[in-house]
Amino acid sequence: MHRQSTGYLFVLPALLVLGLLIAYPVAYTGLLSVTDNQGNYVGVENFARILGARATPTAFVNTLWWVFGSIVFQVILGVLAAILLNQNFRGRAIVRSVTLIPWVVPGIVAATTWAWMLHTEFGIINYMLTAPGIVPEPVGWLTNGSTVLPVMIAINIWKMFPFVAIMVLAGLQSIPNDLYEAARIDGASFWEEVWYVMLPQVRPVIIAVTLLLVIWALNHITIIYAITRGGPANRTLITPIQIFRTAFESVQFNQAAALSVMFFAVAIVVVFVYIRTLASNAGEAR
Amino acid sequence: MGSVSIRDARKSYGSVEILHGVSVDIADGEFVVLVGPSGCGKSTLLRMLAGLEEISGGEIAIDGKVVNALPPKERDIAMVFQSYALYPHMTVAQNMGFSLKLARAPKEEIKRRVTVAAQMLGLDPYLERYPRQLSGGQRQRVAMGRAMVRNPKVFLFDEPLSNLDAKLRVQMRSEIKQNHQRLKTTTVYVTHDQIEAMTMADRIVVMHDGIVEQIGTPLELYDYPNNLFVAAFIGSPSMNILGGKLVGGRFVAADGTAIELPYAPAGEDGRAVSLGVRPEHFVLDAEGIDAEIITVEPTGSETQVAMRFAGHEVVGVFRERITGLPGEKLRVKPDHDRIHLFDSKSGQRIQHA
Ligand SMILES: Nc1ncnc2c1ncn2[C@@H]1O[C@H](COP(=O)(O)OP(=O)(O)OP(=O)(O)O)[C@@H](O)[C@H]1O
Ligand SMILES: [Mg+2]
Repeated sequence: MHRQSTGYLFVLPALLVLGLLIAYPVAYTGLLSVTDNQGNYVGVENFARILGARATPTAFVNTLWWVFGSIVFQVILGVLAAILLNQNFRGRAIVRSVTLIPWVVPGIVAATTWAWMLHTEFGIINYMLTAPGIVPEPVGWLTNGSTVLPVMIAINIWKMFPFVAIMVLAGLQSIPNDLYEAARIDGASFWEEVWYVMLPQVRPVIIAVTLLLVIWALNHITIIYAITRGGPANRTLITPIQIFRTAFESVQFNQAAALSVMFFAVAIVVVFVYIRTLASNAGEAR
Repeated sequence: MGSVSIRDARKSYGSVEILHGVSVDIADGEFVVLVGPSGCGKSTLLRMLAGLEEISGGEIAIDGKVVNALPPKERDIAMVFQSYALYPHMTVAQNMGFSLKLARAPKEEIKRRVTVAAQMLGLDPYLERYPRQLSGGQRQRVAMGRAMVRNPKVFLFDEPLSNLDAKLRVQMRSEIKQNHQRLKTTTVYVTHDQIEAMTMADRIVVMHDGIVEQIGTPLELYDYPNNLFVAAFIGSPSMNILGGKLVGGRFVAADGTAIELPYAPAGEDGRAVSLGVRPEHFVLDAEGIDAEIITVEPTGSETQVAMRFAGHEVVGVFRERITGLPGEKLRVKPDHDRIHLFDSKSGQRIQHA
């Protein structure tokens, strides 16, 4: 008993600081969302206003596209890369390190680089496509309303799939070699090995990583804001960017806070699912 | 039908050769045990047979067909791993039926064959369990079931019992043997335990440092070991080896003790030889040679005595009850007809003239 309370005493300062750092912004956002800029209580007015804004449903739909588009390909590409990197071949160590580069590059650097590469007139991508005549004229990747969101998603996939690959690879490497050998003796082809042995064994990892990716995609700002700031014509406006712009460009802190609160509720649900899944996986493994 | 023919099989890892030309012929339906000390290359040979390890030289044929270049799935073999290697995310039934599922067998067929194998192994109550919900012995049975369901030409076992406790090992040993008698599937079984080898095998292949020392039935190896290695390896407690030389058709130990030989070997006087006597082939005899007792260990049915005999420390096992104290004398002699004689330099058996 005595020991325990002494222990609490020691962690108390850290807990206090942590509590304030997390609790204060959350509480303050909550407060902002139900007041006006003078600090008067206004009930749900901020919520009603921001929900009524034209951009809100657009941002919501864009967010769905953004999250699902990113996740599906990040996971598929990441898992395939992990399976590839798990094979024995010459130069595997180098390939592994190279694969990690997108994940290591700071988001803002990646965004700027891609923005230049995708530039309609001077970008290398249009140059490579037009020079051999694959497309007749330069594509306005970042200005064309139908390409800009897919392009953003592609950059996000490029940025994050290495993370999936490394996590899944770690899982794959913990599978005992015997299992592959047993499968080979049982007559499994390579892809049957992948499907019946590898994937079921790393399923918990894939689930955990997927949920993390969802959370990260939901909170994403860097790439999109650095390249398009949500444009053109709100085509790449996702909710986090809408919140940011409402707050710092339109200076509507209270409406931004209201939107944050709703968004926070959604994110909490995802986090809750994540924690539940992790807990049940841990139970299953035993 | 599943005969196996291994001809001059070699295996190298880089520049290191670890199997130096192994040849074994296994008849259809035979139960052959590969036995030898740790690191002698038993597992490697078995894995070459399975197709999990490349064959660096020589030839392996199953049922008359050279399989050197064939992947495991085309060799029609089934293997039981030391670790069992059960798929943790599949139930017992799914584990056992996996190979049939991969072979696109119809569902009812899979179910039927899994059920038959499960009944044979007493696994029916566990078909819906996962491997982690089974005991070691049950997992072992599932691993065997997975092999049996396929009805392969050859069963391969790599030390399947080494993770079990002593009692269960004895039980599983006889179960494997019984299953073999029922199924009559050619079996290659790897172990480093010579008792397992003796009790289960139709024929034993004794390996040592990447070569075959001797191939024979358990009793052939016991009665006529080809060389000192096999002599010492087969039998428990192991054979006593006494160093000495030939003098006038008799064996004379370093301390001068002379022992009559059952046959006068063709060899000049003074040839350095080793005399092998199994512990159970010492007999009490008033006319015998004095041996000084070191320890006496009665087991009830017999008595094991460590003693100093002809200048060597030897072990004898006697049916009689011996109550001597350490330091006391015992008169014993080797059973004349069961003496083994080896050339000390080459280690080879010296045969009857
Ligand atoms: N991948 C490898 N690379 C290099 N040497 C190896 C490799 N695998 C096995 N060896 C060597 O080959 C020899 C035989 O190994 P093997 O596993 O066949 O022994 P074993 O007879 O099965 O022994 P045990 O009873 O301990 O299982 C050993 O000396 C081992 O060090
Ligand atoms: Mg081995």
